[in-house]
Amino acid sequence: MRYADFTPYDIVLLLQGLGVTLALFVGTTLIGLAIGLALAVAHHYRVPGCRPVIVLVTEALKNSPVLVQLFLVFFGIPAFLHIRMSPVEAATLTISLNTAAFAFVVFRSGIESIDRDQIEAAQVFGLSRSQILRLIIAPQAAAFSVGPLVGILVNQLQVTSLISVIGVFDLTKIGNILNLRTLQPFIVWAVIGLIYYLAAKTLAHAGGRIEAALRKSVKWGGI
Amino acid sequence: MRFWRVIEPHIGFLLQGFALTIVACLLAIVGAVLLGALTASMRSSGNRWVRGTANAYGDVFRNVPFLVQLFFFFYGLPELGIYIGAFETGVIAMSIAGGAFVSDVILSGILTVDTGVIDAAKVSGLSRIKIFTRIVLPIALRVSVRPMGSILINLVLTSSILSTITVNELTGAAKIVAATTFKPFEVYAVLLVLYASLTTLLSFAISAIHRRLNRFMMGG
Repeated sequence: MRYADFTPYDIVLLLQGLGVTLALFVGTTLIGLAIGLALAVAHHYRVPGCRPVIVLVTEALKNSPVLVQLFLVFFGIPAFLHIRMSPVEAATLTISLNTAAFAFVVFRSGIESIDRDQIEAAQVFGLSRSQILRLIIAPQAAAFSVGPLVGILVNQLQVTSLISVIGVFDLTKIGNILNLRTLQPFIVWAVIGLIYYLAAKTLAHAGGRIEAALRKSVKWGGI
Repeated sequence: MRFWRVIEPHIGFLLQGFALTIVACLLAIVGAVLLGALTASMRSSGNRWVRGTANAYGDVFRNVPFLVQLFFFFYGLPELGIYIGAFETGVIAMSIAGGAFVSDVILSGILTVDTGVIDAAKVSGLSRIKIFTRIVLPIALRVSVRPMGSILINLVLTSSILSTITVNELTGAAKIVAATTFKPFEVYAVLLVLYASLTTLLSFAISAIHRRLNRFMMGG
């Protein structure tokens, strides 16, 4: 019996890999967006001592390879602090922080894009700080940020392929396994690439629809 | 300092890796610009099929992870009977992936040139080649410096992925040092700072070039 052929079970394997990739992508995106938003708000309100630290850390995360960040977290931190860390934990931590760094920049410019006059007008009307944040800043910043965020998320989906290097069984790792077993790199990597491509396209399409919905109020809709 | 104590005996080896990273990035940016220029001219073509092919290339290579592209070439090329080293494969993969992004930049650079300027040049009797090299290109290059720079920075970051196909560039060299010293935290922390400072320096240089090329556009 030969084990080198493709079997129907390989489809299950691929779906499993896709599941891991998507679950990790969704999880890190939610965590990353939450952290990025918190950083942007802290930056906006000038929390004492926060600004230089936030800018330094996010710049370092944006300007270094994700692979090195993964190695630092997966190999470096356990050796330094003498703790155990599973590949999935290391991947989640790294990609979340990476997404947060990129999201922070988008949210910050989203907040900065809002006219100062609007905030002053709201203050004159007696709105509290949290009301201004919720009712004036948030809706406009959201509409402004969705476009760039979708671009970042499409990129982050591709970045998740790197976690296969530290041993997470994601789609790329499954591709590695199939490639080594069947020795048919063209078919294997073309299929893996196609799955990533379709996922990225779906994400971009969904993002476009959300952006259109959020910008509806900006457009002139008639009286 | 503990970081320096760990790194110091291996500094020569790491510098070799660094040199390899630089060479890979320089070769890849040249390849990417050539491929990007070709693709951009194809994308501005009148022929539907030529345009479609170029668009499909850009679309595919921007939406598939670089790691998957790299494995496709690394494992796939020997199947075709093309036996080249891992470094060459890496440079080719980086050029192809980079070309997809560069074509965008070049195309939008060419499109920013006002048609009135080109008409004026035609009326003045300049040849098509003169118009392209003396009028279109200088204007297009000026606006392209910044986006092209961010592609170069991305290539530097992407080059770390070559370590997964056994190329001992900076990250690959650091992996070996981390394994021999048993001090992964120190090694990778230094590596992260190195990459971050390299790309930050690059972005400063790009800003300077951008300002220099656009000095006529500013007042005063």
